[in-house]
Amino acid sequence: MTAAPPRLEVRGLTKRFGALAANDGVSFDVAAGELHCLLGENGAGKSTLSACLFGLLAPDAGEIRLDGQPLNAATPAQAIAAGIGMVHQHFVLVPAFTVLENIVVGTGRGWRADLAGGRRRIADICGRYGLALDPDRRVADLSVGEKQWVEVVKALYLGARLLILDEPTAVLTPEESDRLFAIIRRLTGEGIAVLLISHKMREVLQSDRVTVLRRGRVVATVVTADASGDDLSRLMIGRAVAPASAAAPAAAGGEVLRLDRLVPDRAGRAGAPISLTLHAGEILGIAGVAGNGQDELLETLAGLRPPLAGTMHLMGLQATGLGAHALAERGVGYVPSDRFRDGLVPDFTIAENLLLGRQWQAAARRGPFLGAAQMRARARAAIADFAIAGGGPDTRSGRLSGGNAQKLILAREFAKARHLLLCNQPTRGVDIGATEFIHRELLRKRAEGCAIILASEELDDLLALSDRIAVMSGGSILGTFPKAGADLSAIGRLMAGQGGRAA
Amino acid sequence: MTPAAPHRWRIEVVRDATPRRRALSLAAVMLLALALCGLLLRAAGADPGTALAALVRGAFGSLNAATETLVRATPLIFTGLAAATAFRARVWNIGAEGQVFAGAICAYGLSHGLAGLSPLVQLPVVLAGAMIGGAAWAGLAGLLKTACRVDEVISTVMLNYIIVYVLSMLLLKGPWSEAGGFFEQTAKVDPGSVLPVILPGTRLHLGFALALLAALAMQVLLARTPLGYEIRGAGSNLRALSVQGASAARILILVMILSGLLAGLAGATEVYGVHGRLKAGAITGFGYAGIVVAILGGLRPWGVVGAAIFFGALVNGGTYMQIKTGVPSALIYAFEAIILLACLAGWAAAGLRIRKVADAV
Amino acid sequence: MLSDLLQMSVLASILAATLRIATPVLLAALGELVAERSGVYNMGVEGTMLMGAFTAYLAADGTGSLTLGLIAAMLTGALMSLLFAILVVTLGIEQIVTGLAINLLGSGLSVFWLRAAFASDAKSPTIALFEPLDIPGLAGLPFVGPVLFQQKLVTYLALLAVPAVWFFLYRTRQGLELRCCGENPKALDVKGLSVAARRYGAVVFGGAMAGAGGAFLTLATSARFVPEITAGRGWLAIVIVIAGMWRPGPVLLATLAFSFLDALQLQMQGIGIRVPYQILLAMPYAVAILALALRRRQSGAPEQLGIPYIRG
Repeated sequence: MTAAPPRLEVRGLTKRFGALAANDGVSFDVAAGELHCLLGENGAGKSTLSACLFGLLAPDAGEIRLDGQPLNAATPAQAIAAGIGMVHQHFVLVPAFTVLENIVVGTGRGWRADLAGGRRRIADICGRYGLALDPDRRVADLSVGEKQWVEVVKALYLGARLLILDEPTAVLTPEESDRLFAIIRRLTGEGIAVLLISHKMREVLQSDRVTVLRRGRVVATVVTADASGDDLSRLMIGRAVAPASAAAPAAAGGEVLRLDRLVPDRAGRAGAPISLTLHAGEILGIAGVAGNGQDELLETLAGLRPPLAGTMHLMGLQATGLGAHALAERGVGYVPSDRFRDGLVPDFTIAENLLLGRQWQAAARRGPFLGAAQMRARARAAIADFAIAGGGPDTRSGRLSGGNAQKLILAREFAKARHLLLCNQPTRGVDIGATEFIHRELLRKRAEGCAIILASEELDDLLALSDRIAVMSGGSILGTFPKAGADLSAIGRLMAGQGGRAA
Repeated sequence: MTPAAPHRWRIEVVRDATPRRRALSLAAVMLLALALCGLLLRAAGADPGTALAALVRGAFGSLNAATETLVRATPLIFTGLAAATAFRARVWNIGAEGQVFAGAICAYGLSHGLAGLSPLVQLPVVLAGAMIGGAAWAGLAGLLKTACRVDEVISTVMLNYIIVYVLSMLLLKGPWSEAGGFFEQTAKVDPGSVLPVILPGTRLHLGFALALLAALAMQVLLARTPLGYEIRGAGSNLRALSVQGASAARILILVMILSGLLAGLAGATEVYGVHGRLKAGAITGFGYAGIVVAILGGLRPWGVVGAAIFFGALVNGGTYMQIKTGVPSALIYAFEAIILLACLAGWAAAGLRIRKVADAV
Repeated sequence: MLSDLLQMSVLASILAATLRIATPVLLAALGELVAERSGVYNMGVEGTMLMGAFTAYLAADGTGSLTLGLIAAMLTGALMSLLFAILVVTLGIEQIVTGLAINLLGSGLSVFWLRAAFASDAKSPTIALFEPLDIPGLAGLPFVGPVLFQQKLVTYLALLAVPAVWFFLYRTRQGLELRCCGENPKALDVKGLSVAARRYGAVVFGGAMAGAGGAFLTLATSARFVPEITAGRGWLAIVIVIAGMWRPGPVLLATLAFSFLDALQLQMQGIGIRVPYQILLAMPYAVAILALALRRRQSGAPEQLGIPYIRG
């Protein structure tokens, strides 16, 4: 180590939201040319920290230094001017613009849009770090991986010396993620400091050092080479990781669902035909990177989009093309991936949200009116059964946290799912406690004889719960593995859309 | 002079503003609005105090004035309920204006052949006709949206303009024009179709009681029935509702029909309760004013009743004010807009906080 | 009678009238186009035009200068839309409802002011109108001359504004940033640029253009202010932006199409074709609905149109 100050130095950074300290005296540093990882569970304070660094939030106390100079960025403009670049978790791109326009917009001086100059500088940057980007393609036409490169080039174009990557691989295939890391290494080789925010152990282990956050505090900063994945997990969670609750294989019951060359509608284009059967008391896991056809498949099964071809049988009866309402009546429950967009009405109370979908049923009514007492009683039962914290039957559901909102949806959909439960990313963005709860409930539902389709990006979820795992990529199911023979590397290859058909 | 420390103002969103905060913010903005209205009065050369006093006297100064205020409020209750119902579902029915016309036209069309029959026959036909006309004109906009993706704001506004010409065609040398008359209007309607006065010695007619009944019905419908549940849900997150099997198109059409039939009733109360004949002047302006009433009433049925009476008082008092002080009563329409803007700003401001943050060097 | 319509001189007068009728709507539509490209749906065009028409009349009557009238109208339009921008951009209020409030304000304020300024509508004085400005050398051309080159100055300016707006949106740095605000404001925000400032600019420009459009009605067409003189032209401008797929060229074409219809209608009334005049008057509104119903898909709309930008 030389005497030069670190690229980034954070000392005693504190940010409070009301009584909650999202960051509490956080201190760490990142050297020039270092790949430094910020590891923590959802809610550990990673996003708050990066927002403070980038001038999106004003810290309540503490100091941030960049190359020894105090940085007090009150706006992103000041953070950028100081040399901080940020690649956000969700792409911040304009689909209708070209790559060039996306990178150049908001930069430059004078009245002209200097596209020619921008084109030259982009070629420079791409050449130096080994990226292939066609500046004239529309961003809407790019693959997810290519969009990620655009984001990186955008930050470099603005002259970033410290690059913050906020969960950059959440949407990448393992192969694309490898390419990203190769590029990150070229960046650090050129002296750029990279701060990687992640909770994926595979990525974390590629860094130089790791700072672990838990409940807003720094638990430790360790040299990655000196630590194992298990060590880091323990630091992150604060206890040993519970072994996957290996479920006893259930006795396969009767057939619940049979798909015969069912073709989901993928934004007007036909997806690949999908055939599968599912039995009572069985959990079929669907592995795959988000956006590879899981949403379309589950929405088709839930009756939200009519299939373009093929047939679907539920409990032996023809169910092709039935709407959401009809399928719900036949005992299908559906937990959507975007729970706030698709799952809840924020202005409704918990009791009203539990009624969603049943508002016209005679059982829910007394004459022409909705049965208020009955609604409340049902809500009280659901709150107790599903440990929904944060309110009573008359609480607006918009006030619930992510985990509790998800429990509310589970309570409703479990009640509907007499035969089939469709779960899309049920643990996305919920904390460890809620995740364990959701796992237990899914296994309980399975024990009751319900057939379950569980789509998740978290392989841990799938390995813990599934009887079989199907891998989706590019809209088709590329292979199905029995749980016993699940081979992680084979699953990974299929998720990347390559490799032959498995057993 | 020392330069001030560099700083900037930042506006932040406050989650869950307290009711007290809301009330304070609303009160502050309303005061500002009243001050603006006072300025307008001064600009018109009147003393705001005198003018305001005249306005209040004109609105509530006597039993006659007070009941007249309620008469003026009656169509506004209907159009206010119409707008509130649609807006609760986030359906932007701007067409109450045209639906009032459609209601009046349909009511007249169905009932004017029944002259001489008992009121027990004529009145139901008048009211049903008004509801059918308003609902059909609104339903047309609903269909345009569900079948042809025409934005309901645009279609309802265009339909507002169109129906004015339809009425004009019927009345100006048209089939319904008054025999030998010069004006664009029908002859007086049959006495058997007139809405009876409910407070002898005043002009307060059955329409006002019907308006209160409509408010009660909407209150119960919104709070307690499956349809009301869907209307409220659609306003908050329509997508979640359709994921659970509700049809967005069906909700939209039903909301438009409900909203239109309420607006249509305003046409009937004005023609058959106040003016006794069909003419454009009798039914103009209530639709747009209803939007203001709905917003001011917080999109709640009883709030709408209160806001409608407030505006009824303004209009009624405004006429008296013009006589007493010479201030054009058209001022009332500017008032309405200012109060609506203030009301919107007050609600929004309650959810925001302006904070001074230090600027970086 | 059809042959009357087809005579060259009649056709020339219809086309000349088309351009005259198009002017106020084109000005308002171009302004609305810029506002909408920045992501703000300003439904207050009608009321803004109305106030523009009124203040232009008032200022021209008071000062005797038509130019000052036009400037007053543009300032009023800018002021009205500044109010609108404060409410929707800064306070994040529902744009549709706020636009309606602006319309009601324009409608109420103009009538009140008219009656406060002049004892009655009928007693309001008439003003001189803009004179046609012949373009030397071109105005004398047969057919083309009377159609294109004997118009009023504002009409020429409105037509020139079409390529100007196009150049601004597609060839300047500010234009690129403005379009970015409409497509994905966050992409600008994360680069440290103010979305609000650009939306304010776009909305205020739109208001000034609507004000100018309103001014044309009193200063070049009617010579006095009549309540509701705009008669839905502001709404038509909004329809035209949609029909023109949010692009300047097609917006011009859509404006000309509607105006041609209107000019034809006037001509038909003039030569006494026996159709109830109400049908002719209602036609543009019905055609507007039809145009929207028959267009293929919602194409070209800015992604974030009508959605307030709140960071986070």
